[in-house]
Order: sequence, then structure tokens, then C-alpha cells
Amino acid sequence: MLGATTALSDAHGGASQGPQHRLLMIEDDGDAAAYLSDQLSSVGWQVEQTADGEAGFQKALRQNFDVILIDRMLPSRDGLELVKELRRRGDATPVLFMTAMGAVSDRVAGFRGGGDDYLVKPFSFEELDARLHALVKRGQGASVERVVLKVRDLEINRIERSVRRAGVDIELLPLEYKLLEFLVLRTGQIVTRKMLLEGVWGFQFDPQTNIVESHISRLRTKVDGQAGTPFITTVRGAGYVVAEG
Amino acid sequence: MVGMRRFSSAGLRLAVAQALVVVVAFALAGYMAEVSLTRITQQSARTRILGEAASLDDEAVQKGVAHLPYTVAKRSRLWRGFEYRVADAGRAPLAGMLPEPKLAAGWEELVGPARGTLGTTHYLAYTHRLSDGTTLTVGQDLATEAGEMAAIRQVLIGCGMLGVAVCLILSALVARRTWRRIATISDAADAVARGRLDIRVPVAKRSMHDDIDTLALAFNGMLNRIEGLLDQVRQVSTDIAHDLRTPLNRFGQKLERLRRQVDDAPESLAAVKALERDLDEIVRTFDALLQLSEIETTEPAADTTLVDIAEVAGRVVEAYRPDIETGGRSIRFAGKTVLVHGDERLIAQSVANLLENAMRYTPHGSSIAVAALDAGAKATLMVSDNGPGVPPNARSEILKRFVRLPTNRSSPGSGLGLSIVAAVAQRHGGVLTLEDASPGLCARIDFPCAARPAKHPPPAPFPQMAE
Repeated sequence: MLGATTALSDAHGGASQGPQHRLLMIEDDGDAAAYLSDQLSSVGWQVEQTADGEAGFQKALRQNFDVILIDRMLPSRDGLELVKELRRRGDATPVLFMTAMGAVSDRVAGFRGGGDDYLVKPFSFEELDARLHALVKRGQGASVERVVLKVRDLEINRIERSVRRAGVDIELLPLEYKLLEFLVLRTGQIVTRKMLLEGVWGFQFDPQTNIVESHISRLRTKVDGQAGTPFITTVRGAGYVVAEG
Repeated sequence: MVGMRRFSSAGLRLAVAQALVVVVAFALAGYMAEVSLTRITQQSARTRILGEAASLDDEAVQKGVAHLPYTVAKRSRLWRGFEYRVADAGRAPLAGMLPEPKLAAGWEELVGPARGTLGTTHYLAYTHRLSDGTTLTVGQDLATEAGEMAAIRQVLIGCGMLGVAVCLILSALVARRTWRRIATISDAADAVARGRLDIRVPVAKRSMHDDIDTLALAFNGMLNRIEGLLDQVRQVSTDIAHDLRTPLNRFGQKLERLRRQVDDAPESLAAVKALERDLDEIVRTFDALLQLSEIETTEPAADTTLVDIAEVAGRVVEAYRPDIETGGRSIRFAGKTVLVHGDERLIAQSVANLLENAMRYTPHGSSIAVAALDAGAKATLMVSDNGPGVPPNARSEILKRFVRLPTNRSSPGSGLGLSIVAAVAQRHGGVLTLEDASPGLCARIDFPCAARPAKHPPPAPFPQMAE
């Protein structure tokens, strides 16, 4: 797997040069907010931060953000109610809840209330960063509708469910196809283990074994073939990415 | 329907018991009535016979004893309900059709020819000796009396049967109403057992509550209490979650920051990574505990879907297959569509937990089999292996929280995996059993099958208690 691994800062290579994404963080835990704000800025996010629900609501209304990161339990205003009100007013900015409320019912309430993703504390920064990017991409309208996906020398026909690399057909099992398609649809974005478990397998629990790693490794042997350059890159400590080329 | 079924057992028994009591009471009353009526009629017969005898005595005194046979013959001809016998001192019959009495004087029962028929009948007879030694016997046919008694008995039996019928119908009506109301409470209890805590038994608004109202009120009170307690448990879980997750989050973030700072110092990096693994283990156990409490204390969502457990199990097996095979074990899956009502994610997690256990506690070269079966009213999910198995006496033990076999204490795992599977099974109205796969262990979950008519009707519109 030599050459297939990269660090998070390199994986986001484009972010610091291209247009910065504006992020609104509403979090009342000062320590956590300071840390996240620091880290997010260091990988290229332009962070606006507040600890107060009401203040956050006013900011969200007045300014344009690419994504909102919000705690559910906030002083002066409940995070969930805040998002509901934003949605009622027609604000469609993607929202990621980061919260200590991890019950399934809380999650369901979060999504029903207008949240787009839900992270239960504690989570790794890499997980948060990857999900925020995924939300921004989704907000910009990703290539979900396209029939033929082309990345570098790989081509996926989503009607035939066929895969070719450098003109050579690759036979994939249904699950391997699903995994590859999931990654290719998110080309340029880091996809974490958790995102794959949820998106490809529909698992909301965290397996204690390396099932994602094992599947990726099987997929790699098929997609990369004997001499091909690695198609899927491992981002150390974060997940996987299909680079644009 | 449910109400009727229950009525047919306990209700009918009660109605029959009530009817039996009525029958016995009527029989007893009838017997006592007959005994006293018999005594009264005999008494009046004796009075009448004595009256007739006295009137004949008078005749004998006025007209002379010699005239008595003529008087008797005349009275016998006119028939006033009496039969006679007049005999001289030598006991030779002079008049009348009664047979010869055995006693010289007094009351006795005689058997003699019946008037107007060829048969015989019983007479109550009174014999006494007149002044000249002539004996006079006056008797009355007991059959007439017996006929009256039979008529009375018939009336009594008729009344008794009518009474029993009325009693049966009345008690059936009352019991049916009562049982309907009890069935309502029973249905509510069933619904509660299936996780619906929002259900209350309707109680009629009236000033005087009867026993069943009291039962319903007690039942509702109990539910209020349980719901309150569960709310508290949920609240405590949420509080614990918040109060621990927030510092754990900060802790994790500080470790992350540290990891970045020591990125080029391998020894420190290894130490930080070890700390991160420890933290990960704490969070896993914490998550598992919270999830267990959530599964056990929350009501299943009203909008549970039909889940094909074969599809879910197959998906989990395919997810784990590479890992299992890389670990030198083999895995087989067999199953065809079996539908249960439930939560797909929880069922998937259960299969995953069982597979992870099988991977963790079997040696290389073991084989694992997963099957989803349609076993009539049950949908069965089985994960078995041919590993060392679990001793029979430890099987129920290891379903408990944090309990692990002594031989496995050192291996990773929280000791909550099987507890979660058991809780998921219970939440779906099923049960987890651990069996001997000889060799190895077979974990079996039996779910109630959704494809067949549910044992209980859906609890949605709750019937009002009949007032």
C-alpha cells in the first residue's frame, strides 16, 4: 500500500488555496469550541464562533455560511429549536449537530428537526472535518444524478453497474461496486470509516473489527490490478479519498 | 374476540357454578317444602278421618250399632272420599271394602283394592272399637294425596328450572359485561408488556366505583408510576451522557492536539496512541451501556417497519466475511426471506455482535454458520460456531452485563455485547438462547413472525369500556 497513504493536511490540499468555506460554530463548551475553531482554521475553514444560541441564530440569519456546526444543548436557546426555526424561515444552510445526546431518538429528532448530519461527542476532529466537507459539497449539488462517472482513468457506468479502468473491465461483487461508487461519488472528499459503515452497509454501530479496511483492501487489489497506480488513497487517521487526478 | 375467549373459560365456569348453587338451593327448598307439606296433608287427612269416624260414632249411638253397616254402605255409595270397614267382635266383616286392619285400634296404612280400578292402593286408616265390640275402620286413599304432592313437586321443579335458566342468563350477562371490562384491562396489560406505556384503561365517570373500576384505577396508577420512573431513568441517562460526554470530548481533543505535537517523537506518539485506544475503550463501554439502557427503557417506535432478517443477516455476514476469512475462519450463510416487525439497525447490530463473539472466542480454522429460518410462528436467527462453546451453567450468566467467561477476561470486549443482543431480542418480543452446537456454541434469537397474523391485534384504537 505504498504511496496510497497521505496525511490529512495534504488531503485537503485544495482547501487552503481555493475559496475558503465559511462555517458558523455555535458551541457553549469554551474549551471544545476553542480547540475546534483552531483546528478548523488550520485546515482552511473560515470560522465564525459563538457560545450563545440566540446570538448564533441572529448570525445565521444575517450572514451567509456554507455550513453550521451546532451543539444541541445551548444556553438561551435550544439548538434543535434554533435549527427548526431556521428551516421554517427557509434557510437551507447545511447543519451538523455535534452533541452529547446520542440516543437513537435524539438522532431521529435531530434529522427531523432539519439537521443534515449528527455527530455524538466525543468524536475525532478528522471525522468532523470530513463530514463538514461532505455537507458543503452536498449543499453545492454533487454529481449524484450522473450516469457515467469518470475519475482519472476509471469509469463507472451506473446503469450497467460496470467498472473500467484504463479501458479494462473490472469484475466487482455487488458490495465492492457499492463501496467504489460511494467513494467515487465523493471524489476529492475524505470519506471516513464511519461514513462508509453508515452509507455502504447501513450500520449505525461501530464494529470492533476491521471490516472497512478489509473490504477496501479487497477492492484495491481488484481496482489497482497488478501494476496500476493506487486509485483509493488512505488518509492517515481519517479515512479514504479518491483524488481528482 | 379476545374478551369472548376469556369469557368462555373463567366466565362460563362462574356462570355454571352460580347455576349449580341455584339448583342445590332449589332442591333443598323443594325437599323441605315436600316434607312439611306431607306432614300438613297427613295431619289434615287424619283430622278428616277422625271427623268421619266421630260422625259415624254419633250415628251408631243415635241409631244403634246394628244400623252402622247401612250407614256405611250409604256413605260409601255417596262417596265423600272415605272407605270403610265394619267388623263384628269376631272380626267378621259386616260392611265396607277396606281390608282387615292388623291393629285392633289406632292408625295404620292398609293396602286394599282401589275404587273404580282393578289395582290396589294405599289407605291411611283409623280403627277403633265401638261399645259392643264392633270395630269401625275409616280410611282415605293416599293416592289422591300423592297426586297432589306430585303436582306440587312438578310446580316446584318447574319453578326451579325456570329459576336456574333465569339465573344462568342473568349471570352470563353480568359476567360477560364484567369479563369484557376485565378483558379490556388484560389487553391493556398485554399492550404494556409489548412496550406501550402510553395506554390507560378507560374508567367510567361515576361517584361509586365498583371492584373493576378500582382495578382499572390501580392499573392506571401503576402505569403512571412506571412511566414516571422510566422518564427518570431516561433523564438520568441523558444527564450522565451529557455530563460525561462533554469532558470525554475535551479529553479526546487534548489527546488529538498532543498527538499532532509529538508527531515526530515516536515514543511519545506511541504513548498518546495508547491513551487514545484506552479512551476509545471507555467510550465504547459507555456507549454500549447507554444504548442498553435506551433499548431497555424506551418504547419501540410506533413506526417500526417490516424487516427481512435474512437480508439483514446476509448483509452483515457479507460485511464481516473478508475479516472472518482473513482470520483463518470460514463462514456460511443460509436463509430465505423471513419478516419480523422491528428495527433493522438493532437487528444488524445483534448479528454483528454475535459474529464478533464467534470470531473472538473460536480458534483459527473454526467455521461459523449464520441462518435465518422461518419456523412457523417464529422467525429464527442463528449464529453458531464449532469452537470450544460455553459450559451449560455459564450460558445464562454470560447474558448478564459485564459478565465474561474467566478464560476470556484478558481479551478485548466490554462484556455488554450479548446483553445488547438479549435486550434487542426482548424489545422485538423475542428471546435469545444459547445452546450447545456440539461442538461449539449456537446463539439463537426467536422473533415472533410478522408474516402470520399477530397473536395480539394491533393496539391502536382502544375500545371504550362498556358502561
